[in-house]
Amino acid sequence: MFYAGKSIVMLSVMIWSVGVVLEILLLIRGFQEKLYRQFPIFYLYLLFVMVNDVVSMGVYRRAANYYFQVYWVTQFLSLAIGSGIIFEIYRVALRSFPGAARMTRCVLLIVFGAIFANALTIPWDGVFRWLAAATITLERNLRIVQALAILTLALLFSWYAIPFGKNLKGILFGYSLFVGLSIVQFTIWRYSQEQVKPFWSYAQPVCYLLVMGVWIRALWFAVPLPKTIPDPQIENDYELLIATTRDQFRRTLARLGWAARA
Amino acid sequence: MMPGLAFVAAAAFLVFLLSLSARDDNGEDLPAASMRNQNRLGVTDALRPAELVLRIFSPKDREFIRLTRSPRLQRLYREERRRVALHWVRLMSREMSTIMRRHRLNSRHSQNVNVAAEAKLFGQYMELRFLCAGLVFLIQLFGPHALVDLASYAGELRGRLGKSMLDATASNHVAASGDVVAR
Repeated sequence: MFYAGKSIVMLSVMIWSVGVVLEILLLIRGFQEKLYRQFPIFYLYLLFVMVNDVVSMGVYRRAANYYFQVYWVTQFLSLAIGSGIIFEIYRVALRSFPGAARMTRCVLLIVFGAIFANALTIPWDGVFRWLAAATITLERNLRIVQALAILTLALLFSWYAIPFGKNLKGILFGYSLFVGLSIVQFTIWRYSQEQVKPFWSYAQPVCYLLVMGVWIRALWFAVPLPKTIPDPQIENDYELLIATTRDQFRRTLARLGWAARA
Repeated sequence: MMPGLAFVAAAAFLVFLLSLSARDDNGEDLPAASMRNQNRLGVTDALRPAELVLRIFSPKDREFIRLTRSPRLQRLYREERRRVALHWVRLMSREMSTIMRRHRLNSRHSQNVNVAAEAKLFGQYMELRFLCAGLVFLIQLFGPHALVDLASYAGELRGRLGKSMLDATASNHVAASGDVVAR
């Protein structure tokens, strides 16, 4: 029994250590390739997570009683910095596309407005109860908000055919994977606490290792963002573009009308 | 629970309709590459003339084939015409996608994008896509002359209803005048 317990702790420390090593590796490569200039928030997040892992490991080994307090406080801090990654993805990807950026801002505003309106429908005492509820539920809900923002961004990027570089694609995919896996983990934790508890301490770091693998693969070398050259004529005459598209739609509708009148 | 399920079912049906309109007769996706390869600013001017559309959807040919009284010929005609009609509607659907794609690729660079105009345009685009999807659905289910048949059926129904209403009014008048005479 004692040996089994000891080997479990060893395994957990090993997974943890591999994660820290991968983070250090990613940070070193980021500095070597000067990727931190292009993605400062992402590398700040990585640095924070790395320091947090080392500190948490120390607390876990020397003052295990305080571990959970430290864990949840740092978890919320990493969530806040992680939200910055979403902003960075938006900023870097849409730098050369002001039109798409404007539409994305508007759609994100609508999505966040809808989430806020949905929160308002909860009675006030309910909100306080919601805030005071288990930290896991709160974090899961915040991760869902992040997931919605990522989904909206991904849909708009796909709609406007925004070209990604390998690096940005990797950051987006890795962080989406991380957020998605977090939601799944928190949901499972919420609905089947007792059965899941023994696996909890392994599932999260193992999933994180998977995400680290994605990031290492994507960020090993700096790949410049593909450049697109806008058509200056169209750029200057947006009204003409709208009118042309409308006219083409009208003509197509007319042709569909012929089919009905045949 | 039920409204949620209904919403999911409606969404699934709409996605199914859209996927129908984006597939060719063999069930394969229309080549997206051909759209991508098109000149970004080139306008697809290869529009189908009105005569062709009228001919595809007109029931005149069906009437002509019916005169032959050959079931095999009628079946062949139905199958072929259905394919032609589906091909035409899908071409329309693809053309709309190309128009919208071209618009998106150009508007993403524009400094002065009008959010309301873009939203309206997107609404029109979705309306047209669903119209095409509905047409594909109808053609697959009832054949190429579904619209004409539906229209003529509706006309016939309206005529019958109008006639029966006229008859009812007339009989009411007769009954009323009979009452007056009896008094």
